[in-house]
Amino acid sequence: MRFFDPHIHMTSRTTDDLEAMARAGVRAIIEPAFWVGQPRTQAGSFVDYFASLVGWERFRAAQFGIAHYCAIGLNSKEANDERLAAEVLEIVPRFAFKEGVVAIGEIGYDEITPAEERAYVRQLELAREHEMVVMVHSPHRDKKRGIRRSIDVAREVGVPMQRLVIDHNNEETVQDVLEAGAWAAFTIYPHTKMGSERMVEIVRRHGPERLIVDSSADWGVSDPLSVPKTAQLMLERGIDPAWVERTTWQNALDAYAQSGQIDVEALTAAPRVDQRALYHDNSVLRGQAPRVDAAVPN
Amino acid sequence: MSAARALLQGLLDARLAARARGWLADAAAEVAGLAPGPAGRFPTLISLASRALPRGPLAPNADERGQAAAVLAGWNPERWSILDAGRAVLVLSRADLASEAGVAALEDCFRHADLGELVSLYRTLCLLPEPQRFAWRAGEGCRSSMRAVYEAAACDSPLPSRAFDDGAWRQLVIKAVFVGAPLWRVHGLDQRLDPELARMALDLVDERRAAGRRVQPELWLALGSHAGERGAAALERELAGDWAPGRAAAALGLARAGRLDPVRAALAREDDPLARAAMESALAGAHDQFSFAPLHGLE
Ligand SMILES: [Zn+2]
Repeated sequence: MRFFDPHIHMTSRTTDDLEAMARAGVRAIIEPAFWVGQPRTQAGSFVDYFASLVGWERFRAAQFGIAHYCAIGLNSKEANDERLAAEVLEIVPRFAFKEGVVAIGEIGYDEITPAEERAYVRQLELAREHEMVVMVHSPHRDKKRGIRRSIDVAREVGVPMQRLVIDHNNEETVQDVLEAGAWAAFTIYPHTKMGSERMVEIVRRHGPERLIVDSSADWGVSDPLSVPKTAQLMLERGIDPAWVERTTWQNALDAYAQSGQIDVEALTAAPRVDQRALYHDNSVLRGQAPRVDAAVPN
Repeated sequence: MSAARALLQGLLDARLAARARGWLADAAAEVAGLAPGPAGRFPTLISLASRALPRGPLAPNADERGQAAAVLAGWNPERWSILDAGRAVLVLSRADLASEAGVAALEDCFRHADLGELVSLYRTLCLLPEPQRFAWRAGEGCRSSMRAVYEAAACDSPLPSRAFDDGAWRQLVIKAVFVGAPLWRVHGLDQRLDPELARMALDLVDERRAAGRRVQPELWLALGSHAGERGAAALERELAGDWAPGRAAAALGLARAGRLDPVRAALAREDDPLARAAMESALAGAHDQFSFAPLHGLE
């Protein structure tokens, strides 16, 4: 099977992960901008971070036959450093319209502070003006209220619900998101919070419509194979294979292809690793050990 | 308007549909009217070009490539994309390129660039007025491990061989082999070989052999006429090896070092077509950097 993991922080992952992901069938990923575990102290750190998302990480993933897209935005945690946040919000538009940027994200609430809300609204406005998809991070504390508020504010700003993806949902929040008409994404955490087993039951109960499974793998304990593993469990537990396909591939593709930045046809065609592969039909991406014409098992 | 810009504009006019042509004309006019220095709408337009212009290669024909060489010796847009050409037109539309403000504006653009933009921007550097001002920036591109970026900075451009200091130049040459970029496409390579570069290449040959790995055929390009006894011995060992692309490269390398006898002897017992062709070419005096083209990427 082929998988689309629409939320994973590859900056924190190794080439072992990329190799394992490709082997497990992960064909496309989205790396949203988030915080890197430790607060950044200057705007220049964001410039380099955003630049790596549209350059280096894309290059690295391509070495393993994985299409890498990204989302650009100021995350909610760092929005609370208001002096820094003001500078970063000036930088965001410089990266948000580059090739392969499929969304503004991940943005939203962490502690649901006024500073977070100001940064969120500014970025929603940017997304609305440029008809971009928005990837919303929902808070881990006071999640239900945070999600309701993210939806309400997005609606007030005028972001269409079909371009809004609310992430890190659980059994308690999914109904609100689906009723609003937004996409409901679920992060599968290996030990805590949402596990694969709970995801199976959510899909069974709600059906595949607008549900998206992702790993959000980052610098913490997390699993870059969450999406293929959850798909496997869904199949084992009798979920319709068509539903599995929608929640682990097609829905993410439909949601983020609204950006116009995903070449759906190329992505859907059977990929082959050619580490001499063309970039824009001219230059070549390749690492030290070129693998040519190796079939990707997805 | 610079001759390079006029040429690129002509190539694009022949290739773009009306809508893309209109977008580019408007964007170029906007760029021409910008205040000197960084930011403004310039970087945004460089980004937006990817959404307004079609994908695909520029694919200049032989005649058009000839015109490019006439504009600037050593410039070869053969591998450019349409997007590269469009972005180059935007860069060359800036009114401040001759000044420090123009340099700062481009540097700002480089620092905020994505992969595709880096490729386009590096390709454009050689077309700018007094391009030696961008030698450091081009050197940054040649330090990249992203092969597309390396190639854009190092290949098909007269800038490195003219503007790089000896250290940066030698690093560029050796790095090409490391990232798997086509060294034979580095303009001016044959004219800028020296004993130090030959030594670096031969050290790398020893390192590869010690690790039980094949020597990349293009590495022998770096010896030229400076192979010396050490280089000749290394080349003869390669010529006696069991890998045809290596024998082919060694034959060309020996001919470049002026040592034809071992090549003649090898041809008499050679039956691999690739190696034979290279040996015949070497003996006929065709052993410049372009003769290594068929050996690129063989490892
Ligand atoms: Zn995240």
